[in-house]
Amino acid sequence: MSKSDVVVIGNGFAGLMSALVSADQGKKVTLLSYGAGTFPLNSGVIDVLGYDDSGKAVANPAQAVSAVADEHPYKKIGTQALEESVKFFQDVVAAEGFPYVGSLNEQQWLVTGVGTLKPSCLVPESMQGSKCFEASEIVLVGIKGLKDYYVDMVAENLAKELGNDKKYTVVTVDPHYQGARDLTTKDVAAWMDTEAGYADFVSQVKGNAGAGKVILVPQILGLKGNVVYKKIVAELGCPVVETTAMPPSVNGLRLRDVLLSALKKKGITVIENAKAEEAVIEGSKAVAIKAGGEVRLQTYNADKFIVATGGFYSGGITMRDFGEAKEVVFGLPVECDCVEERWVNKQLFSDKKQTFAKTGVRVDATLRGVNESGNVVLENVYVAGRNLSGYDFCFEHSGNGVALASAYKAAKA
Amino acid sequence: MELEERARDSADNCIACTSCVAVCPVTKANPDYRGPKLVGPAHNRMHFSDESDYEDSLKLCSNCKNCDITCPNGVSVATLNMLERAKYYKAHPEKHTQADQMLSHNFQMADMLKSIPFGRTCANIGMSIGEAMGMMGAMGIAPQRKSPRFATKYFREMYKEIKQPEGLTKEVLFFPGCFIDVNDPEVGVAFVKVMNANGYKVLMDDRFKCCGSPLVVGGYLDEARSHADNNVAIINEYAAKNIPVIACCTSCSLMLKAEYTELFAQEEMAQAAKNVYDAFEFLTILAEKGELKKVHVSSDKKFIYHAPCHLRAQGMGMPAVDLLKEIGVNIDSADAGCCGMSGSYGFHKENYETSMKIGSELFDKINASGAHKVVCDCGTCREQIKHGTNAKTTHPIQVLAKAYEQ
Repeated sequence: MSKSDVVVIGNGFAGLMSALVSADQGKKVTLLSYGAGTFPLNSGVIDVLGYDDSGKAVANPAQAVSAVADEHPYKKIGTQALEESVKFFQDVVAAEGFPYVGSLNEQQWLVTGVGTLKPSCLVPESMQGSKCFEASEIVLVGIKGLKDYYVDMVAENLAKELGNDKKYTVVTVDPHYQGARDLTTKDVAAWMDTEAGYADFVSQVKGNAGAGKVILVPQILGLKGNVVYKKIVAELGCPVVETTAMPPSVNGLRLRDVLLSALKKKGITVIENAKAEEAVIEGSKAVAIKAGGEVRLQTYNADKFIVATGGFYSGGITMRDFGEAKEVVFGLPVECDCVEERWVNKQLFSDKKQTFAKTGVRVDATLRGVNESGNVVLENVYVAGRNLSGYDFCFEHSGNGVALASAYKAAKA
Repeated sequence: MELEERARDSADNCIACTSCVAVCPVTKANPDYRGPKLVGPAHNRMHFSDESDYEDSLKLCSNCKNCDITCPNGVSVATLNMLERAKYYKAHPEKHTQADQMLSHNFQMADMLKSIPFGRTCANIGMSIGEAMGMMGAMGIAPQRKSPRFATKYFREMYKEIKQPEGLTKEVLFFPGCFIDVNDPEVGVAFVKVMNANGYKVLMDDRFKCCGSPLVVGGYLDEARSHADNNVAIINEYAAKNIPVIACCTSCSLMLKAEYTELFAQEEMAQAAKNVYDAFEFLTILAEKGELKKVHVSSDKKFIYHAPCHLRAQGMGMPAVDLLKEIGVNIDSADAGCCGMSGSYGFHKENYETSMKIGSELFDKINASGAHKVVCDCGTCREQIKHGTNAKTTHPIQVLAKAYEQ
């Protein structure tokens, strides 16, 4: 394998964005992937900051980000890089024909798969829940046989959120599904990608469409970008909104496909199923990563490395013995508040962050790992995404926002 | 020596995230398949002691390994599936169909035909008649397909007639695999040319048996084990003489490098794996050491590459594409996922529709590419591509051998 300028380790949103930004800088990039990242699991929306430290909803993400605690990755990334990264992302997806709407100055609202509302910052056109606010009638579409989508519960919860002065109508579409297993949103989306499936769906919903209404559907509007969305909005003559969903997430998969297409156009080499096993270090620099299958490792030389392997969940950070948290590829310094009494907040859905969730690599403002005295450990190794310490993305709804902004900053450095 | 049963133990690493379900080509094409997560790691905990324990869609997995490639937690999903399938057939051997028997044991047929005068010609005529008369369907073979014909000379015979240059000091042992040996021996000839040009003499060892991949998929795990033991002993014999073993078929190399150890957990298998290389993996290592013969191609003929899933699972990228690009070949990867064939899978009558649905994205890309030929390391992928498109196909080693000739 010839030498690259940049090797990115990690195949999630932070990894793909690190690779794209690096390639945009004219760099030769190799991306090492192991597993599919979290794309099939999240809704492929970019939450920047949904809730502040006290659990209060954030109205203006840009303002709230500038007020985060010193330990938070956003503090190190800075608002300028965040703003630039948002623009970069929106340009990339728009160029791929899959535009995202939103800005750092306001929240978008998503309707979740259980009918509640959730703030996010950048969302695809098909998921603009705010379109429900003005409507006089919400037509909620359920799908016969669809797993984990209870349309009556969605209607009930949404009425609590949006008020009873609107009309809520439930329509159940029959996809004439013959298979032996449970139906997922991905199956229905694939059905919608066929001409016959699309026509069948439209014929079952059309009678309920009309001015002043919004059609609310689970995440089923096709697997390919916004093709089905554009077609169906034009055909039904009123807004159509997708909810968030249980895995496998259709929109997460759409976003991954779109980003992989952008990677290919940039000439980025993606090595699949290659687990980064060993770093080759010379002095204060990394010179290569050894990665590969069970039998033999390939050596990937580069001038610069970006670690985007994720946290505990993705295996980028491990802790075999309590207090012994490790970053698995380079052994970068990990910081955590490893005190048993504080480690877990037993009330999962309370107004407090989880201490364990904040475990990650201690970095400085350049996003390089630093030791306890604040000195950079490896001068050409940068960290992006959930590897970073100091935030609970689940609590504050900042996962893809931190991933995007840190990827951008790490790649630009 | 027994090793830890990594594949079986890996089921405990499954967090049921459904990433494998999201990418599984069979799940996408066939609504009867319950998906890798449920059939592999989840059902692994069941015992198929009687018929009522049988998971109906167990037989639908094609062992293409896309679940393994996608799994963030290193679960050997496909192998768990194969182990369960084997357990079921061990308890219910009567459930094996005639097609299972035939498609898993093509190597027996090939050996038998070789021993009969004009056996292969007659078999090929027989296949043509059988296909024309619609008899394949009755045997459980997809009647829409043309079965690969037996070469009138197998590679093992052609090899004996090849005059390799005198004085080559370095040696490699070739593992031809069934498809190259009996159906497509020109790939083997091209391999010998390329290795000779790089200063290597190519050895053959007639004691090698089929790698066992079709046996595993067919649920004949004990037979596969005996093939594995046989092949592993030979590979280790050559390892002791520092002679590497090279395969041009990526399903064979995956079997020898990874699946033996995953399935059977034996120390000597893990040991043998270290001495096995895919052809382009080996050539890339030579290139990195500056030992690969230099050549430059100045033709602008356009090629499109299909990466076999069993290569993608090996975690080393696409060495054939990188190397061919490096010497100036105009080649681009189709990046269109699984072709749907998965060795013998697509030849089963009941899998035909699924197989063709899976391949449709690849077929469309190939048809739209305007490429002169499709390049692919896997023989049965090439069969599927020829069936699903009108494209001509070739193995990358043949492209390289041709470049050396110019």
